[in-house]
Amino acid sequence: MTTNKLKIGIMSFAHLHAEAYIGNLRGTPGVEFIGFADEDAERGQRFAKQFNARLFPSYKALLDEKPDGALVCSENAKHRPLVEMAAEAGVHVLSEKPLASNLEDAQAMIDACKQAGVILMTAFPMRFSAPLLEVKATLDEGKLGKIYSFNTTNQGKMPMAHRKWFVDKELAGGGALMDHTVHLTDILRWFLQSDVVEVYAQTNRILHADTVNVETGGLLMLTFADGTFASIDASWSKPLNYPTWGGLKMEIISERGLSIVDAFSQNLTLYKQSQNSHVWPYWGSDANQAMLEEFVAAIREERAPKVTGEDGYKALEVALAAYQSAESGQPVKLPLR
Amino acid sequence: MKAGIVGAGFMGGTHAAGWAETEATIAGFADSDLASAQSLANRYKAKAYPSLEAMLNDVDVVDICAPTHLHHALALQAAAAGKDIICEKPLARTVEDAQEMIAVCRDANVKLLVAHVVRFFPEYAKAKAAVAEGQIGQPAVLRLTRGAFRPKKPVDNWFTDFEKSGGMMLDLMIHDFDYARWIAGEVESVFAKNIASAHPNAPVDHGLVILKHRSGAISHVEGSWAYPPPIFRTRIEIAGSDGWLEFDSDKSAAIDLHLRQQQNDAPDVPLPGSPLSESPYTTQLKAFYNALLNNVPPPITAQDGLAALQIALAAIESAQRGKAIFIQ
Repeated sequence: MTTNKLKIGIMSFAHLHAEAYIGNLRGTPGVEFIGFADEDAERGQRFAKQFNARLFPSYKALLDEKPDGALVCSENAKHRPLVEMAAEAGVHVLSEKPLASNLEDAQAMIDACKQAGVILMTAFPMRFSAPLLEVKATLDEGKLGKIYSFNTTNQGKMPMAHRKWFVDKELAGGGALMDHTVHLTDILRWFLQSDVVEVYAQTNRILHADTVNVETGGLLMLTFADGTFASIDASWSKPLNYPTWGGLKMEIISERGLSIVDAFSQNLTLYKQSQNSHVWPYWGSDANQAMLEEFVAAIREERAPKVTGEDGYKALEVALAAYQSAESGQPVKLPLR
Repeated sequence: MKAGIVGAGFMGGTHAAGWAETEATIAGFADSDLASAQSLANRYKAKAYPSLEAMLNDVDVVDICAPTHLHHALALQAAAAGKDIICEKPLARTVEDAQEMIAVCRDANVKLLVAHVVRFFPEYAKAKAAVAEGQIGQPAVLRLTRGAFRPKKPVDNWFTDFEKSGGMMLDLMIHDFDYARWIAGEVESVFAKNIASAHPNAPVDHGLVILKHRSGAISHVEGSWAYPPPIFRTRIEIAGSDGWLEFDSDKSAAIDLHLRQQQNDAPDVPLPGSPLSESPYTTQLKAFYNALLNNVPPPITAQDGLAALQIALAAIESAQRGKAIFIQ
């Protein structure tokens, strides 16, 4: 048995995914989860206690421990400083999505990691979803024939109950559109091996209008270089008492017909007499786990990860173009600059 | 009341079944294909006519079930004879035609009812009622899907002739454009993509359309002539400020047959349907009959038909030009 464990730490607990990542890291063979640092001391102490994890007094202290990799889970607008710190310390980075809240930051992060010779991976767990991997294989085999269009949804609940900053335009870079557009954009780019050339979007703020100032409804239409068109529903439209957090679905129209994909259909349906709503315990494979294992494998094998910083940039660019389109009422051409 | 049905095809037969459930008399069927008219006439003990003109004197109301591009001329002819009119959707092939039909009918003091049957499907009516009662608050994001295969017809398949039918986005998607407007109000802008525009030689069509309503609501409307026969699916999702409503024809299928296929025996023209004690087409016909008989406002007006037509034509224009189209 090798004792050469990779040391991984988490920088910031602003993103709720950090909570899941701790369990994932502890369950990854060959990985030592060294602990985390958080600029919110109260939150840091709370989660350190909850997860029985070591809390570093500062990001610098965590990096001084010479981890092999760091997961950056700060607010979207605060990924850049942490990524740059980690890169400067020679630490490989997995950054939460969206990669940043603007393209300048995203590019700076890519450049910093390239200069430091460290990996920059964007946290797009759906790339590692077992159902979506099977769809990708089906597409690559040519089983569906020519692909014409995708009708996709990545709807969720308005996330303020989990973290307030998700509905703060400064910290999140926007609302539902910023939160949800990037996942499906990345999946579609991966499926089609083609880039988005045009984006149209409409947004509104009718759902939760009295509690948030960012858009809660968003519909996008993407056109790819290969002519495929795809719509994305990025709305925070699931009611707060919906049986699960949301979901990710797609319907593919191709030469051979219709293919329906529900990436989160692998649930039980469970009713409790004491509650008026049922729940859907998920029994499918954990895509977060597979994503973290890829990050670890890329570090070990000294290779580029399957999802890169560039992928994060491209997906962010689509979300930003969508805001421009929603503003102008007309489609916007890519690249943005 | 004596009803005359123009167009003895599939839809003429469907309307006839509805008329048969009313107190009205089906006086005749008019079709240039006299054999088809005769066949329906025999079934309903009515007369067959080679044209609307030949039938006009024998009827009180003209029910237009002819191909879309013929609606305008037939309606003008019926109005000139002072007959009330029921017209299949789309009201007309162009906005100008529809506007003229409305003006002529108004001047002739005859009624013009447009058959957007989806409003009479119980699942759609129930969803509308739930929204109207405020059960889900203000509609914010709508998702409507209507998907099937391209209609086949042994001869003269006008459905696939864009000049005659307007294609899938006019013939099929107009149902959900009307429904979206019924739920969320007037439409301000339309952005659309479809296969017919992106790949003109493709044997199928599929469209994705984003509507922005003046109320602020946004709608995603999907229509398909790209599914393998005999699939026909419809779906509704309405996210509102105080709740969520969904319908999925697959999930609410009362009967799901999984039989070894004998032959590919899909119908020529796809029709949705759940087992019901009354066909929605009959519900619609009864409502129209009541509006005509008792001179009460119809549940859907010719203006509604015109508005739905405007949205559908804007979608076609958007898909062709690659721009969002603003209405009015």
